[in-house]
Amino acid sequence: MSQSLRPYLNAVRFSLEAALTLSNFSSQEVERHNRPEIEVAHQSAELLLQPMHISRNENEQVLIESSVNSVRVSLMVKQADEIEQILVHKFTRFLEQRAEAFYILRREPIKGYSITFLITNKHTESMKTNKLVDFIIEFMEEVDKEISEMKLFLNARARFVAEAYLGEFVY
Amino acid sequence: MTDWRRIDIDAFDPESRLKTEDLLPPYTTQVTLAELQPKITQLRNLSTSGDISAAVQLAMQDPPYSADGATKAAYFQAVLDTLSQVRQADIANIVKQLSLDQEAVLVKYLYKGMSVPEGQRQGGILLAWFEKLTQASGIAPITHYLSDRRTV
Amino acid sequence: MSYAAAKFPSNADKSVLSVFKLIKGPIYSHCYNADRSLLAITSDNKCLVFQLSGTKQPRMFATLENHDKVVTAVDMSIHGRIVTCSQDRNAYVWEPLSDGTYKPTLVLLRINRAATCVKWAPNGYKFAVGSSARIIAVCYYEHDNNWWVSKHIKKPIKSTVNCLEWHSNGVLLACGGTDGFVRVFSGFVKGLDSKDIMANSPWGTKFPFGSLIREYYHGDYIHAVEWRSNLEKLAFVTHNGTLGIVDHQDHLQEVNSPDGLPFRALVWINDHEILCAGYSCHPVLFAESSQQWKFAKNLDKAARSSSPATTGQPGATGDAEEEENPTFGISALRKFKELDLKGKVSTEQQESAHDNAIVQLLPFAESNGQVVQVSSCGLDGKVVLYNV
Repeated sequence: MSQSLRPYLNAVRFSLEAALTLSNFSSQEVERHNRPEIEVAHQSAELLLQPMHISRNENEQVLIESSVNSVRVSLMVKQADEIEQILVHKFTRFLEQRAEAFYILRREPIKGYSITFLITNKHTESMKTNKLVDFIIEFMEEVDKEISEMKLFLNARARFVAEAYLGEFVY
Repeated sequence: MTDWRRIDIDAFDPESRLKTEDLLPPYTTQVTLAELQPKITQLRNLSTSGDISAAVQLAMQDPPYSADGATKAAYFQAVLDTLSQVRQADIANIVKQLSLDQEAVLVKYLYKGMSVPEGQRQGGILLAWFEKLTQASGIAPITHYLSDRRTV
Repeated sequence: MSYAAAKFPSNADKSVLSVFKLIKGPIYSHCYNADRSLLAITSDNKCLVFQLSGTKQPRMFATLENHDKVVTAVDMSIHGRIVTCSQDRNAYVWEPLSDGTYKPTLVLLRINRAATCVKWAPNGYKFAVGSSARIIAVCYYEHDNNWWVSKHIKKPIKSTVNCLEWHSNGVLLACGGTDGFVRVFSGFVKGLDSKDIMANSPWGTKFPFGSLIREYYHGDYIHAVEWRSNLEKLAFVTHNGTLGIVDHQDHLQEVNSPDGLPFRALVWINDHEILCAGYSCHPVLFAESSQQWKFAKNLDKAARSSSPATTGQPGATGDAEEEENPTFGISALRKFKELDLKGKVSTEQQESAHDNAIVQLLPFAESNGQVVQVSSCGLDGKVVLYNV
């Protein structure tokens, strides 16, 4: 693992551990509702906690927004060129369309980020906190790898296609 | 007035909910940039003379919580310059000398630094501070940060 | 003890007396009757009552279901009446009948948001309910109408009330909430309480119902408050991981959680010791010596090698990081090992008795004014008894 990835993941891990201290909290605005307070900002300021911004560089960042009963974790996945941009977009879209299978995945990333997780007290009550943290850390490790593998694969395929197609014109 | 059903009527009742301003502890005085300037100069002098440890100690003492945005930004820039001048190997020792309150302030500047482009360009140095800080005092400074309403 | 010893052969400090895994979901609150033969817990929108005998697994005894949303708190009076409150805005008093069933009576709370916490006054003739409507309802029985009515304490509560606690005199009511204030109100109800009991109280001279006696600003969510009535002191735990102790002269002492995570619950062991527990899943004992509160010891702390909290301990040198941080720096060998283990329960040697946050602590057994056994409930659906 590269030298600067470890402190980055370490910072995310500690921040998440601190943020995942949630309680079951019923809405004080709407009767008989129990909703993730982080998603209804601008209502009760006291229920939101300070946001945590962790960045490795300008292209790789994590934003952890915390509230009394929910945490939003947004990742900015490294996108070095246009191909990576497309790949990241397709990849995260693929996951988000199957969001219910991932429990903590939010259907839409918040603005400026590639993918967002929404963890509520229901999740921390039914899953172990440190496993949840492990999952997100592992996801962060894997996603970069996945994207660069896909890029390699795409390039190889493009080369093959180009050769096959342009081969027609070689006499 | 086609959208009257969507009007959030509770927002018009001043008693109904707390706003961000209500959560801040009442400040008796507001620090101005002029008052803070000597401290910023001192900070810069210390960090140019290489005494980063003293500079960090000074920077983490009484940050300008009550100041306006521009003053905070000026102070923050000085702190960021100080933090990014340090050598990686020295960080652990400097962190060890901080008190709990100073650590809490340091965490605020680290998170703030990582949220703005100037800090993000510094790359790993803020993360290195963060790592040494968590090695020294674990998760405690972060839990303190989360619910502390005073911002830097 | 034999049960506990069999279940935890490697537990060196013997602090865990017994572990009862009762339900699958979280237990937000639990309570016992006076002789500790009955245990009531919250379970989703129900309240379950168990019969308890020694360290044997409790036997299900009754199910109290009238609520249609999550039951947030349950408490039992000295007379054996159970009160439950729920996020459906209601509270019920359950009167035990001779045939072992319970008769529910709806309480007229008159609140329009969730009820969050409930506590019987020590004499068992009234109780207080905290709510998300920024109201505390003090409820008592009205014989003329044959129902439970409530009086409201509103001002100056600005946010959800998380916790409540009666002073042993049954008049002073401490509460804490998400607005970051610990407040002491008077819950004096005419006709139920006598003025004599407050005659020499250091907290003031007049206690009309609903008056604010004291207010302490802390700023963070207050998760639990607990009186030490004979010392006239109040202890509370907050979301930034501190334990605070205040007295009637507004003298405040604070001590930080040793592993940094917030506490959700506390209980006074004696005049100079407090046991706290919360998101770190094991209780922590604090002790007062020479006017100074300090961390004393951990109970039942899991020795987990992968816990980042341990890697963050002081003295961790730079070279040892790789060794201490198995999640990071995955070498090929370790990766294969992990693959091999995937799908199985992890190999972490020993876990603490609770494997999710502890949300309530209660004194279970006392001798000579000292609590010797403490009971806890957690989000993992367990009730655990600890030896202190």
